[in-house]
Amino acid sequence: MRIRFTGAIVALAGAAVVTLAVMPIAGQAPQGGRAGGRGAGAPAAPATAPAAQAPRPAAAARPARIAGHPNMNGIWQAMGTAYWNLEDHSASATQFWQLGAIGAIPAGQSVIVDPANGVIPYTPAALKQRDMNRAGWPKSDPEAKCYMAGIPRSNYMPYPFQIVQGQKDILFVYEYASSNRIVHMSNHTEAPVDSWMGWSNGKWDGDTLAITVNGFNDSTWFDRSGNHHSESLTVEERYTMQGDNVLIYEATMTDPKTFTRPWKIRMPLYRRLEPNVQLLEFKCVEFSEELLYGDLKKK
Amino acid sequence: MRTPLTGALAAGLLVSGAVCVPSLRAQSPAPPALRNVVSRNKAKSLSTYIVPRTPWGDPDLQGIWSSDDEAGVPFERPTGQTRAKVDGAELEVLLEEREHQRVDTTAALFGLTGGGPPHWYENSGHKSARTSLVVDPVDGRVPALTREAETRQGRRNPMGSFGAGPFEGPDDFSLYDRCITRGLPAVMFPTIYNNNTLIVQAPGFVALTHEMIHETRVVPLDGRPFVANRMRGYLGDSRGWWEGDTLVIETRNFSDKTNYRGAGTHLRLVERFRRNYRGVRYEVTIDDVHTFVRPWTAALNLTHGAGLFEYACHEGNYAMRNMLSAARAAEAGGRAGR
Repeated sequence: MRIRFTGAIVALAGAAVVTLAVMPIAGQAPQGGRAGGRGAGAPAAPATAPAAQAPRPAAAARPARIAGHPNMNGIWQAMGTAYWNLEDHSASATQFWQLGAIGAIPAGQSVIVDPANGVIPYTPAALKQRDMNRAGWPKSDPEAKCYMAGIPRSNYMPYPFQIVQGQKDILFVYEYASSNRIVHMSNHTEAPVDSWMGWSNGKWDGDTLAITVNGFNDSTWFDRSGNHHSESLTVEERYTMQGDNVLIYEATMTDPKTFTRPWKIRMPLYRRLEPNVQLLEFKCVEFSEELLYGDLKKK
Repeated sequence: MRTPLTGALAAGLLVSGAVCVPSLRAQSPAPPALRNVVSRNKAKSLSTYIVPRTPWGDPDLQGIWSSDDEAGVPFERPTGQTRAKVDGAELEVLLEEREHQRVDTTAALFGLTGGGPPHWYENSGHKSARTSLVVDPVDGRVPALTREAETRQGRRNPMGSFGAGPFEGPDDFSLYDRCITRGLPAVMFPTIYNNNTLIVQAPGFVALTHEMIHETRVVPLDGRPFVANRMRGYLGDSRGWWEGDTLVIETRNFSDKTNYRGAGTHLRLVERFRRNYRGVRYEVTIDDVHTFVRPWTAALNLTHGAGLFEYACHEGNYAMRNMLSAARAAEAGGRAGR
């Protein structure tokens, strides 16, 4: 720690002096002036501020392993168009002609690797439901309503997510809808109640993070094309590093009420490499309210 | 003591958006008895407790931390109470009063249907001897609003569904009613249930997941600058660092929809988390010269929580449709609101 602190002092030489005293009993106020200077929104520092200097660790190199396991910390995002449709799909129009080409769906190849035909093995009744879901889009889509997206959908939406991995439970934090899930790495228990994001029990299988997710409700989808499941869904996820900046993601879906056999998707997740990239706020409730409640507003 | 509802507001039930406009009052110096309490607490924080460490050497704050044990403590110290903590017979009377008030409040807010009996709630039966969550100023009261803030407050309906309306659309409800957020630092203070914060750490980051409404703050500890001043959010933008064994998080860049006791875009928070022998000591200093005549600090003792459930608030928000349809029905019936 001492070494890092020393480095930090050097790294921050020239940055704004930071004063940090919160001694509420003494009635002293903490002061602003973090790196980046005092923004327009920052209050002026009272003249009585103590001039204590805070050590700031500089950005540490990312260790390759944490507590003996691959370090998957980072901000990840899928590319491709699986969020539109997991299966093979040609480019097509949506009903939103006002958006011109912006409103069209780009083509994409199936991310389903099993079965080999790349098609979800629905039961006949479940396939009919999928087609009804699709006909009712977008209002039928939980994403339009800003509902939590469930697993695996959350991992390949067009928003980044962050893996926070220490030596204990691992946290997946999704930008979309402020959703998140805790991956229990010890004390595995059954899901206490059905939920949108499911109940995740994880373990290390060599250098692969293997997570069993179940305890879902029946309300989440797999994509914007109406692909769906029941509350009996179990997802077996596998995350494997391929080099420093690619995480191979695999998920096997088992749900006898909806599918005639288990099926599996595979895709790379890419590390977001922009300097200072961070998860930002996408609290989409406010963007869904006109859709959900607009008919009840005062005219 | 005014009404049970007022007591609930002070206890933090509606802290997401609701604001009790503090009355203007002079700030009183600490009585000698209080100074003694303060110095004893400071001595205890310097005890021999060894803070655990992560494998990469940071103080280890990981775990599930609950504010349940501070439930019932008024946010501001009641008029007439001069001590920061009470004990003995006075404590017994105080706890009984608080429990009666809590039961009355729960019944008044939720009735006896739907929500279950008052003793089911997680804010039931707690034993904190503190007389306010506000610890600075020493009178335990939120400092007066500035004139600018009073003008601003007059234009807002911070009570949301607990206010008088009118309810013409979603914007007339609080951020909490709408399942958007309880906001910062409100989410740290106890409410009726789901008072847990999960802390997970990684090298260079600390993540805080708040159970109520489900949201996570991922706080960089690597000394990077804040995002651009023009980027604003309900939870603002946070940066953290260690001061010895204490995690310090500064948050700014709040949006103009933020309304923490009248503070908004100029709000700046400094939170401090420190492990101790029974949990985590949490302090937050609220600094906004456009809103309060001076900075002030509230504190909590967080203790081990049992576990987090998924709080699917928006997904199950039937109340918004019900309240809006009730308002439209009332209009159609020729009556004004409720």
